[in-house]
Parts: sequence; C-alpha cells; structure tokens
Amino acid sequence: MKKILLVLSLFLAALEVSAQDFPYGEVDNNALDMKKYDKDTSAHAVVLREYGTSRIILDNDDYTKVVFEYHVRIKIFDKSEFDKGTIAIPIYNGDNNVYEEIRDITGTTFYKDEKGLEQKAELDPKQVFRTKENKYWTTLKFAMPAVREGCVIEYKYTIYSPHIDNFHSWEFQSDIPKMYSEYQVHIPGFWTYNASLKGSLKLTKNVAEVEHECFTFGTAKADCSHMTYGMSDIPAFVSEEYMTSKKNFISSVNFELVQYQNFQTGATTKYTKEWKDLDYQLKTEFWFGGQLKRKELLKERIAPIIGGMTDSMAKAKAVYAFIQKNIKWNDFYAYGSDDGLKKALDSHTGDVADINLTLVTALNAAGIPTEAVMLSTREHGAINYLYPGLGNFNYVIAKTNIGGKTYLLDATDQLLPFGVLPMRCLNDKGRVFSLDKPSYWIDMNTGQREGTTYTLDLTLSDNGKLKGTFSRYSTGYSAYEMRQEIKKFNTEDEFIENLEGKLDKVKILKSSFDNLDSLNKPLGETYEIEISAFDNLDHNKLVFNPFLFNRMLTNPFKLAERDYPVDWGMPSDERYILTVHLPEQFQVDNPPQNLAFAMPDNGGKFIINYQGDNGLFVFSNVIQFNKSVYGPDEYPYLKELYNKIILSEKNELVFKKKS
Amino acid sequence: MKPLLIAACLFFIFLDSRAQNIYDASLIPKELTPYASAVVRDAETTIEVKDMDNVIYHVKKAITVLNHNGDDLARIVIFYNKNITIRSVKGVGYNEYGKPIVKFGEHDFLDESAVGEENLFGDERVKHFIPSITQYPYTIEYEYELRDRQSLTFKPWEPNSNDPWRPDLKYGLAVQNSSFNFICDPDFNIRYKEANVPEKVICSTNHEGKKVYTWQVKNLKALRYEPFSPFIAANEISVRIAPEKFSYYGINGSFNNWQQLGKWEYDKLIKDQETVPPATVQYVKELTAGISDPKLKAKKIYEYMQQKTHYISVQVGIGGFRPFPASEVDLNGYGDCKALVNYTKTLLAAVGIDSYYCVVEAGSPKVSLQHDFASMDQGDHIILCLPLKNDTTWMECTSQRIPFGFLGDFTDDRLVLACTPEGGKLLHTPKYTIDNNLEKRTANFTISESGELDGKMETVFRGVDYEDRESEIGDSRAEQEKGVKKTYPINNMVVKKLVYKQDKGSSPVTTEDISLSAGEYGALVNGKFYFSINSVDRRISVPPRVRNRVNPVRINRGYTDEDEITYTIPKGYHLSSDLLDVKLDKPFGNYTATMTLNGDQLVYKRKFQIRDGMYNKDVYDDMIDFFQAIADADTYNVALVKN
Repeated sequence: MKKILLVLSLFLAALEVSAQDFPYGEVDNNALDMKKYDKDTSAHAVVLREYGTSRIILDNDDYTKVVFEYHVRIKIFDKSEFDKGTIAIPIYNGDNNVYEEIRDITGTTFYKDEKGLEQKAELDPKQVFRTKENKYWTTLKFAMPAVREGCVIEYKYTIYSPHIDNFHSWEFQSDIPKMYSEYQVHIPGFWTYNASLKGSLKLTKNVAEVEHECFTFGTAKADCSHMTYGMSDIPAFVSEEYMTSKKNFISSVNFELVQYQNFQTGATTKYTKEWKDLDYQLKTEFWFGGQLKRKELLKERIAPIIGGMTDSMAKAKAVYAFIQKNIKWNDFYAYGSDDGLKKALDSHTGDVADINLTLVTALNAAGIPTEAVMLSTREHGAINYLYPGLGNFNYVIAKTNIGGKTYLLDATDQLLPFGVLPMRCLNDKGRVFSLDKPSYWIDMNTGQREGTTYTLDLTLSDNGKLKGTFSRYSTGYSAYEMRQEIKKFNTEDEFIENLEGKLDKVKILKSSFDNLDSLNKPLGETYEIEISAFDNLDHNKLVFNPFLFNRMLTNPFKLAERDYPVDWGMPSDERYILTVHLPEQFQVDNPPQNLAFAMPDNGGKFIINYQGDNGLFVFSNVIQFNKSVYGPDEYPYLKELYNKIILSEKNELVFKKKS
Repeated sequence: MKPLLIAACLFFIFLDSRAQNIYDASLIPKELTPYASAVVRDAETTIEVKDMDNVIYHVKKAITVLNHNGDDLARIVIFYNKNITIRSVKGVGYNEYGKPIVKFGEHDFLDESAVGEENLFGDERVKHFIPSITQYPYTIEYEYELRDRQSLTFKPWEPNSNDPWRPDLKYGLAVQNSSFNFICDPDFNIRYKEANVPEKVICSTNHEGKKVYTWQVKNLKALRYEPFSPFIAANEISVRIAPEKFSYYGINGSFNNWQQLGKWEYDKLIKDQETVPPATVQYVKELTAGISDPKLKAKKIYEYMQQKTHYISVQVGIGGFRPFPASEVDLNGYGDCKALVNYTKTLLAAVGIDSYYCVVEAGSPKVSLQHDFASMDQGDHIILCLPLKNDTTWMECTSQRIPFGFLGDFTDDRLVLACTPEGGKLLHTPKYTIDNNLEKRTANFTISESGELDGKMETVFRGVDYEDRESEIGDSRAEQEKGVKKTYPINNMVVKKLVYKQDKGSSPVTTEDISLSAGEYGALVNGKFYFSINSVDRRISVPPRVRNRVNPVRINRGYTDEDEITYTIPKGYHLSSDLLDVKLDKPFGNYTATMTLNGDQLVYKRKFQIRDGMYNKDVYDDMIDFFQAIADADTYNVALVKN
C-alpha cells in the first residue's frame, strides 16, 4: 500500500505545478474586449475563472484553523450585473475570542477608459466596511471601484476560521455562468473529512494526490491529501417554481468532518461517526440529552394540566396545547436547546428546539413515550445519507405513538392541530432520537393532506338573485391555513366584512363557524348568501358559469419542461358541489358533459360531474393530487391536468325559458 | 348562609381593589376596540432641547395588546447611532387584570444593524424587544430616554400611527390617551406643522422658566387600510417641529423658510464637495467641445456620468445629509443619490452649466415638500435640475439606464427643494398626464380549428409606463421568457420571438415585440368553440368594498391602456355569443370594450383610462362597480359554433 502511495505522489508531484491559483491581475485584452459569452449569449456577466483553496494550518495564535482563500475574475458585460461588483462576506462572530476573520482583501477593476486605454483601479482597503449585523454575524462589504460596462473585476480574500468542523463547501454553479471554477483542499492526515458532490453537473477535473509532511506541530508531522475539483463551462442556475431549496440542485462539493487525531497523543476523536456514536454523543450533550432528561421539572409544570386525565390521547393533546400556548416562538430554528428548557418555560419564549424538546420531555413526563426527530427544513435542503452528521439538520420536532398510530408534533405555532406539521418541516427524512433506543430514519412525507370542500345550495329567485347557503369545510393543513387567515383579523366580524368586501357580487346575510378554536377538528364556515347573478329573469336565455369562486384563469405551470421536481409538500384534495334550484319556467339548455382526467399511477385527477333533473341540477368537480412530489417526467401530466381545469371553466351553462 | 355571604363580599372587595389596576384591559372603552389589535393606554413623549447640541427624548408608554396581531404594534423599537445614544430603558409587563408579571431592561433587548442589505455601509442600529406574554390581553408599560447631539431635526409625533419609523404598522392601533411636550429655552424659536390634530396646542412656562408646548389626544379609533387613500390618511395625526436656530453636529445655522434652509444646505453641506481632478475637467471639456446647445452638452455629460458610475448607498458622515466629494465619485465610480447628483453637477459646472441639487420625497405616491413648512426632515432623495430657459430639465442620477431628462414615477409631479447659492427654491417636477402614460398594444392572432393560437403582438410603453419592462430588459433570456409568461395569462404559451427596444429620446418609448403560439387556447366544449377574448390585458383584481369609509378617494397617477387584437377565426364558424359592447364613463375613468366580426376577422378593441385626482369618499363604491364591470368584460369568452 505504501509503495503505491509513494508512486502516486511522485507522479502527481509533476502535475502539482499546474494545479494552483491563476495569476492575479493578468487580465488580457481579450477579456476586456469580450462582447458576450459565446456559450450563453444572454448572460450579462460571466465568471472567467474562479479558484478557491482550503487548508488546515496552525495559526500564530496556536489555534488550528481552516484557511479558505477565494479568488475570482468576473467579466461584466452590462449594467444589469453591476451588483456583482458589490461583495458581502458574512463571517461568524463566535464566542470566547474564537472568531472568524478575513485577511488580505485585494481587488482590482480593469477597464478601458473613454479614450480606449486600458486602466485599472485598485480597491482601497479603507473602503472595506464591517457591520455587526447581530450577536451571531458580522458582514464585511466592499464595492469594487470604477465598475462600468465591459470591465473585468478581480478580487481575492482569505478567511481564517477556527471552526474546523465547518469546512468550506464550494458551489460551482451560480446565477451567472462560469467558464472555469476550481476548488482545492489540503487536509492533513490528522483530520478526516467526507466529501460529497451535489447536483447534476459533472466534474471535468478530479485529482487526488498526497503532499508529504505538509503539516507539522512540534515533532508531529502529517501528510496531506490534496484534492482538486474542477468544472468547466458551467451554465447559470435557473430556478423553477414549486421547487424546494435550490441548494439541492446546485452543483457543489461539501465536506463533513469525520474524525481528528491529537498531534501529541495520537488519540483519535471521532467527530461524525456512525449513527450509534452520534446517538451516544447526543445523549450526553447539555443541549439535547441533558434537556430530555429533565422530566421532573416538566412533571411539576404539567401536573395541573393533565390532572385527572387517564386517556393517553387526551393527555397528549392537553400537553401539546399547553406548550403551544405557553412558549412563544422567537422565529429562530435550532435542533439543540442552548439555554435549556427551564429558561424557555420561565421566559415564555424560545427557539424551535427550546419549544419542541420541552414538548418531548413533557410528553414523556406525562407517561407518553415520545422521541425527538431532527430534520432539515425545505429551504435548508435535502439530507446527505452517505455520511451521518448533525450538519444535515436545522430543526427538531416530537414524535409520539398513541394507540398504534404515529403523531409528529411541532408546538411552535399556536394554530397547528395535533399531528399536523408546518410546511417547512415536510422535507425528505427525519432522524428519530431518544434516550434509550438507537436512532432511525422516518419519512417526513407524513401522509398529511390538505382538503377543502365547497358546498353551495342556491335557488334562483324571481329578482335574478341566487339565494342560499355556501359552506366551506377545511380539513388537515387547509384547516390550519384557513384559521391563520381568519385570525389575521381581530374578530370574526372583521373577517366576514373583509370576505364580503372581496366577493363583490355576494352579500353575506348570516355566518357561523364550526370548530374555529377546536384545532383538532375540521373547520367549517357556513354563510347564508345572496349573489347578484342576473339583473332580472326577463330573458329567454341566461348564461351561467358554474365555477362561482376560485376560478383558475391561468395554468400555474408555464415551462415547456422542467429540470427539477414539483414539490408541494403534501397531497391535496379540493371538491366543489353546487346545487341550483331553478324557477319553473327555466331549464338547462346545454348540460355540461361529465369528464374524468386521471394522471398515471393514480397521481391525481380532475373530475366533473353533472346531474340534472327538472328544476334542479347538481354540478360538482374534484381536483385531487395524491402525491407530494412530482418528478420532471410527471410534469407534462400535471400541466395537462391544469389545462383541463382551465378549459372546463370556460364552460357556460344556459338557462333557457321553457316555451 | 350569612357568614358565607360576608366572606364572598370580602372576596369581591378584594377583587375589586385589584380591578382598579389602571392597566386592567376591561377598562378600555368599548368604542375603541373595533379594528384595533392594540390600544395605547397612556403615552407621553417629551422632547427637551437642553442645549443646541443636547436634545433629550423621553418616551413613556403603556400599551395593551388585545390579540397576537398586536404583538408587533407593541414591540419596543429604538433606533440609535453614534450621535443618538440610549440613556435608559425599563419596563413592566402586566396581565389582563393589570397585575405586574414581568420586568425588563435594556439587557433584554436585541441589538442589530438597522442598515438594509442594499447599503454598503451605514451606522444606524436598532435595539428591540417585547416581553413574551402568552395570555391576551396583556399590557406593557415602558420608558426610555435618548440623547441626540443636534437640534436641526426632531422626530415627529404620530400618536395613532405607531412608531414614525415603521409605517408598515400604521393600522390597528387605538389610543386612549397620548400627549406630546416640546420643552425649550424661551429664546429657542420653533415653527410647527400639525396634521389632523383635534385639540389646539397649549403653551405654558414650566418651573424652570422654559417654554412648554403640549399637544394631547384622547380616544382615537384604530386606523384601517382603505384602498385609494391619500398618502396621509384623513384621521392620521401628526405634529412636526422645526427650529429656527440650530446646531447640526458642529455646524450652526438658522432658518425660517425654504429659502434660508436651502441656502444653508448649499453653503454648509454642498459647496465644498464640488471638486474633481483637472484631468476630468479637461476630459468633459473635450467631450463637449463643438457642442453649443447647453442642453445637448448636459446630455453628453449625463450619459458620461451614467456609464462611469453606479448607485451604491453609503450612509456615513453627518446624518446622511452631506454628499461625498465629487472627487471620490470620480475615483470610485459609485456613490449614493447625493454623491451622484453632486458629481454630475460638478461636471456640468466644469463646462459652465449651472444646475440645482434638489431634495425630493421619492416614491410612486406623489408626496410634495410642504410649501408652508420648511424642515430638514422632508425628502429622502436627491435629483438634479437644469434650469434652462423655458425648458427646465430634470435628471435622475442613480440609474445607469434612465434617459436624460426623464424622472419616471419615482419623483414626478411634486414640490422639491432646489438648494442654490442664492438660497432654496421650491420647484415642481414635471407631471406625466393620463394621456402621456400609455400602454398601447396591437396584436394579430390566428386561431386554428384545433384551438391553437398563433401570431404576434407589439406593445408600446410611454410616459411613466416607459419603465414597465425595465427589470425584464436587465434579465437573461430565460428569465425574460418566464416574465412574459407571467405577464400574459395565455396558457401553453411558446415564445417564438421576444425583443425589447428602447428609444431614449425626449419622450422615451419602450417597445416589446413578441411572436408566440399557444396550444389549446380555444376549446371545443359541448359542441361550442370557446376562447378568451382578452388574454393580454386583464384587470381581474377588484379592490375590496370598505364599510364606513373615512378617507376620500385618491388616484395618484392617471394612465391609459389601449389594446387592439385581431383574431382570424377558423373557417366555417359563426358567433354564438352576443357581441361584446361595454362602455363605462365615470369622472375618475372610462372604459370601452367592443368586438366586431367581419368574415373570419374578429376585432377586439379595449380602452381603459383612470384619471388622477382627489374624489369624494362616496365615489368609492361607484369605483368598485366600475372595476368589477371591467373585470367581467375582460374575462369574456367568445363562443363559436360551426355553420
């Protein structure tokens, strides 16, 4: 093995010369004269070259640090991309004098002046501004001087970070195309990282080599593995609607720290390991296991809530409602409770982990076995299954089993019914952790649905008005969304006033709500209404469109084809049932034809049904999507289903006077 | 029985004494709760000018939050910077019955940069906090003090529109009691401007012999959002104060009117910033050599400035009022509105052309500087005015694209302050009229028997509409196509050609040229062939009706839309629906939509105009009917049957 390695490194030593940063400031006339980028002529700017390197060093202050150097050269064709000349670099403030810092910011703009002469303007280091955004982040910002159409900007900087576990990832793709992008990492043998590639684009250069004794600390020495990832002719990333985090699709390389070795003792500490190691680690962490163990604290707090209850379900719902109402979410995501549950309970405020770990512990304290589920929200991106690691997650919820059924719970929102998750959680898989069992994956595609049924029963009266009842019945996630809508108003009356204001031809005479505050039941709204449909009935023909509300005028899907899946988070079901009683003298002239359109594999359907009798007809339709995610191959069917809906909504009924 | 009764009575007395807690939510007058998410129980803002460079703000407020919508209204938000320091903050939270449940202080506050992402740098910061109380209603009572080192501008008092710095939270706040005191030495003269103030100011002298001006309001209902309202609502109360003599971070001055204020601005903030290197002076001279018309000279220089610079906001230095030196813009090629206007002005001066640095309140709602009240806190943007004889020309200097002499809807039709060496002058920027602002579309489409639409469409944008496609023009082709598909609700649209052209002349014009096709545009349903008559310019959203409207109806800007679409329909069909013929004519606008069929040529003509102006509030219902009738006509479906 050793021999092979040696040969390999000798061989690669020759290559090494080419594998380095491109020379700073050598911008030639070709770049300045370039009028457009041949491979994407609509691009307003293109990265000519981009180079980055990360290495681990022992800094002057004796801390080991990851040093990330970034160097880029960008051609700006026109004004639309002048903002590429304003650069913002976020750095983490950290704590205990351990913080990230930026050194060596250099920038130059190359351009041709009014007389056609080549000029360059250097970035003034005094014009690099530092703003402390909040406790956690500081932003360094600078604007390149003399940016103008046709210029080439070039800049480089170096970030020194003590966060060895947060090794810089590299995005090959951005919103402008790149001609060449390369990332090199040098990792001493003391550290082991797993590298993984995301996205559909292929590397054009992928070299691994060994650097001899590249890291020394006293007498300890280590060889480095030197990896080079290169990509040429990278197209700009174009995002699509109804997609999850673009991070899932942008081509990038990411690193996860696996283990490191003490230079002096040689002892190895596993960092990311196998899940069983992580399970153990979590159990002992103050911010996780430490909090899940605080059952006694919670027992005290929930005793008055569940006193006298025997049924587990009733207890669980009571505890859930208690946490929902007693700790307000401060809008921060987290999977660990840094300040502990007690502080959250006492101050009535906390982040996601404070709230949901309290919930897990409270349910356990109530005698209902409950686990914590770490997950990655939709905007945080997909899970990397190759390597176990907490870096995958940014959120935590509770999972409990009652009567053989699993319930996933998030108490950050007061309006969520028991067992319904907010949209942000419906992403990929979650990892279930508890104090006593090995962790495991569960699908976050939970079977949660949204459902709305509209029922109208209307009678056409002699003055041309349609009178009757309109009810909307919302289940699952729809009930949650509808309650949110209603609670935006101070009172129910204000909601109805607003609703009536929006439905121009509709007068709401009476209204009632069912289960507005019983979150675990479907929400019902019933309105007695009067629609000014016709000015009078003195016509031989009355044209009537049975799609009274929510008419869909355009197809939400406009692209001919898609590269990325349509991800709605959950299946949905919408039903519309309209019953109309006609006056004696009228009959329906052209009853609509029944229609049923189904997507392959029971993916979804659109149905229209019409049943008419003498003075009465029932018109109904169903729009159903049975999947949460539709792949690009299913996209044409999805689009076609919407086309069918839109075409059928053009359908108008004619009420004709009997002769 | 008796002893029990006594006990109960005692208990009630006990409860009763608690119920007298002043912040008991049940003491809020019932007439204040409609549309309110929070109620200011008692507020007192005091500004005391201790010295010209030492102004103390003392804010005391108790606010009851009725439901979760009120949390943000009650949030305590304090802006500060190097010159405005926070002296003390403390507060108490009370439950529904007015019983104190939590105390808080400055250490509880979050401290963040208050400079938007779009700024390169700024030193504004904000501290904010709200105690987390989970039972509604609850009350928070707090008090804090700020010290400002200048006396040129004072924060206005706006008791029923919440924090003057957060106009987004204008609605839902009722007020039981609120007062404002302005305290200063007897020789510190002020002018003030009241808006909708119900009670007169009370002037008095305090025990220190200082002047005290006091305004007070009681029992104000919450403001509501009403579409088409004036910029300042009819029931929105404010008091603004301007000093006579002042000190502004080391620079002194005095003013009583715009003339004097403009003079001070020019002399103290602008005059010394007007130098560029000799090479640049030389260059612009060469650039304009041979041009004699000053307007053409100015255009040349303006275009040079546009290609050399771009807008980047940097809010450092004294309160954001002084432009960066022209020499710095010359070097860096960027600056904010002040710096870019000052730079352009300096370049123009280099070739002997005078121009004015003008302060304006920018934004689509037209807000004028108040002609009868000069103060430094009006206006948030700078533009340049070229006072040519009978041909005053205006320049927006922060855009690299905008044509010379064109302001668009950002700064049109309003009073602005020109700061000149002779003093300030109020000038009015040009108005783009109902007829100037034109979007005119001509399309020729063929519809095949299978329902496919095919053809081309040209749209011309004039007046403020010139900028309607500005963001698309800056996009990549893929994004442009997405934009077009969103703009025009034509399903299955395939864009075959898409070209934007811009004529940047004195009346600028943008032209959009599209060739497109769309399958299933027409559909055979139930034996009839249906298609939408108008898929290119539909007005489908109708503003909501408003009960008990308070505000007059204000239409900010007039414009005209004209569409003419010629459809070639499939052979062998005739019309089954009635011809569309809608005509509406109202004082605030008009609309016609007509349709004619001649052989297989179906011609659709639509014209929509909305007229700017202030109308009586009763007009609002009529306006909703107008928009609804248009929405109905715009979604008209043509029905054809086979001969």
